[in-house]
Amino acid sequence: MAEDPLGGGAGCPQHPVPSASHGSFPEYELPELHTRAFHVGAFGELWRGRLGLRDLSLSEPRAAEQPADGGASDNGLDDAAVAGDLGCSLEAAAELRVVCGLDKLRCLDEGEDPEVIPENTDLVTLCVRKGLLDYREENITIDRACRQETFVYEMESHALGKKPENPEDMIGEGELILSVNILYPVIFNKHREHKPYQTMLVLGSQKLTELRDSICCVSDLQIGGEFSSTPDQAPEHISKDLYKSAFFYFEGTFYNDKRYPECRDLSRTIIEWSESHDRGYGKFQTARMEDFTFNDLNIKLGFPYLYCHQGDCEHVVVITDIRLVHHDDCLDRTLYPLLTKKHWLWTRKCFVCKMYTARWVTNNDTFAPEDPCFFCDVCFRMLHYDSEGNKLGEFLAYPYVDPGTFN
Amino acid sequence: MEIPADAGTRPVGPGTLAGVGTPPGLQTDCEALLSRFQELDSVRFEDFAELWRSMKFATIFCGKMRNLKKNMFTKEALALAWRYFLPPYTFQIRVGALYLLYGLYNTQLCQPKQKIRVALKDWDEVIKFQQDLVNAQHFDAAFVFRKLRLDRAFHFTAMPKLLSCRMKKKIQQTEVTQKFKDPNDRVMKLITSDVLEEMLNVHDHYQNMKRAISADKSMPDKALSLVKEDFFDNIKNIVLEHQQWHKDRKNPSLKPKLKDGEEDSKGTSQEPERCERAVSLAKIKARAFSAVAQVSKSRRHRQAKLDSSDSDSGSGQGQGKAAKKKRTRETAAEPTERKRASRSRGNAQNEQKEEKSLHLSMPIIAEEEEETYDFIEAEFTATKRKRKR
Repeated sequence: MAEDPLGGGAGCPQHPVPSASHGSFPEYELPELHTRAFHVGAFGELWRGRLGLRDLSLSEPRAAEQPADGGASDNGLDDAAVAGDLGCSLEAAAELRVVCGLDKLRCLDEGEDPEVIPENTDLVTLCVRKGLLDYREENITIDRACRQETFVYEMESHALGKKPENPEDMIGEGELILSVNILYPVIFNKHREHKPYQTMLVLGSQKLTELRDSICCVSDLQIGGEFSSTPDQAPEHISKDLYKSAFFYFEGTFYNDKRYPECRDLSRTIIEWSESHDRGYGKFQTARMEDFTFNDLNIKLGFPYLYCHQGDCEHVVVITDIRLVHHDDCLDRTLYPLLTKKHWLWTRKCFVCKMYTARWVTNNDTFAPEDPCFFCDVCFRMLHYDSEGNKLGEFLAYPYVDPGTFN
Repeated sequence: MEIPADAGTRPVGPGTLAGVGTPPGLQTDCEALLSRFQELDSVRFEDFAELWRSMKFATIFCGKMRNLKKNMFTKEALALAWRYFLPPYTFQIRVGALYLLYGLYNTQLCQPKQKIRVALKDWDEVIKFQQDLVNAQHFDAAFVFRKLRLDRAFHFTAMPKLLSCRMKKKIQQTEVTQKFKDPNDRVMKLITSDVLEEMLNVHDHYQNMKRAISADKSMPDKALSLVKEDFFDNIKNIVLEHQQWHKDRKNPSLKPKLKDGEEDSKGTSQEPERCERAVSLAKIKARAFSAVAQVSKSRRHRQAKLDSSDSDSGSGQGQGKAAKKKRTRETAAEPTERKRASRSRGNAQNEQKEEKSLHLSMPIIAEEEEETYDFIEAEFTATKRKRKR
């Protein structure tokens, strides 16, 4: 048997990590829903063992490097490479280059606009699309992308192809990228079927704590207490700085954040509860979140896991995909974990100006028509304090952090 | 070519992102291209490119798709084409799918280009295929694959698609297009009608010989009765039974229907399922018997072919093919629905799964006022409508 043409040695499916090969070959447990548990790092090893350097390469494509006028000699080199890989003659390789050229696939003539659907088409897809376009033309006054669509697209693509300024921050070849969906904790009735979530891309070599630090949740920003007499002192104590404990739960193990002395083991109550009556959950393990990278984990793709912080703010976490990094991905390691999708939340506006996002909420407010009532900072101060900053009237004021803060 | 019923009539929410799943019509188009390629009986890229150009297949990306939609459409198209590139499809279809991937990947309008997702479990199969291509000296196909790989057209992934535990209204079933499928039944390979015919001949010959040497020329001597008289009928029945079982297993209720559609367009679609099975069983039997009886020894090779492509008996007849295919589609549409219903009723395991995902869903908390803006991917309209406020 000839060697694998791209030098991957993949012709013979031998597992490079024999001991881990069974546990790291992802396969369905429930079809279309989730896989069996497998080891992330070993899975990456399996792929790398099957692929050649050229598959994993993150360098610029050759065409961009070489000047266009070197075409003839280029072709010669290419032909030789093709002949070598496929085991055919040089003439055959040259012929292949012509026969299989991309120009053989061109369907539009010069000048033809790809936006316009050609008239006499047999393609069903195009007929369907034409129907939609006609419908749009009849019913819609302005045909353009709405804010949300633009937003989603920009979130998805903003980092694509970014290269680091410092070459040391370049992602290594063969690195894994995991897509992690983090669901929002509060689920309203209208989200019965579509759970809002944000999607992050993390690298296999990153620590769990790096993901934890990049998860934005309003409960980290809450400010406890009533501040009607001293509104200027409010923003000093946010929950994130006060309550630093958190854990991830993956496959029977609680990964607790223990980076700071004041961190508590949030998982202890759960484990004690589970063990006290032998509830059939088996033995849970605990580990330190900061000691583990994603490559070290055993996970099931598509399976719901948990991130818990602030004592009881619980986010379901789903790892939807793992793949090798590609040349077109964001290659700047410092930009990961990379947010690629975010749910757009409706913000609560100030009751007075109806323009800015609320920063304060009041109860028993003699000036307010509603209880509770929301204000932006400017309107709140203008309404409730005189020019010297003295409190007017009776009210209780609490700092308010809107869930839409991260929009 | 006809447009699916919901194309023009139902306003599927103009500009909606159409959620997940294959865009309407795309599968029809791809299969049309592949089946034309199949008819050509060729694996040459030149022939494929000719078809591609005559169908103007690259224009599939035309028509005012905005960036987000364009990306999604391209992803889906590549994923769809990829499916035909893997077993159980025939060698020729797989080559066609490879060319199709090559075409779609290189003519897409996305910037940067969308990639083809390859799952780890499929890769060994792909490499084996590449090796087969080289060994069989199909250099154009091997060249195309090599080029895709060099262009880094692939995302090397864990699974074919993104997985998520979310509640699903319906799980999309990917049907294997029978026409493109490689028949891989080993029993049927072993005992072809060829073999059956041979057996019958030998058996007859044996009986005749026995009669010839017996005292009574009309009846073989009792002492010579060493094999069961009816062994041939038995083995034939067993083979038929197996054939039927194999089909039933592959395609619980769809298959008998399909057969019906092919054989008899008047359609016994109202008939109850069980009756149908009996009918189609009888038909297969009748056909097998008649074939074995009729075909002379000299035409044996022709017959073997006819039998092995049993499931697409119509494909040889070129002309009536398009019509036949349409008919099959129509009959197939209804049972698919019924199948879904019956499956969710009957299959306890499935039901459990459904329930399980229900348990996974979040508690329902009484809503406050206008809380979060519901940004549902599948439903948000991508275009600005006249505001009603």
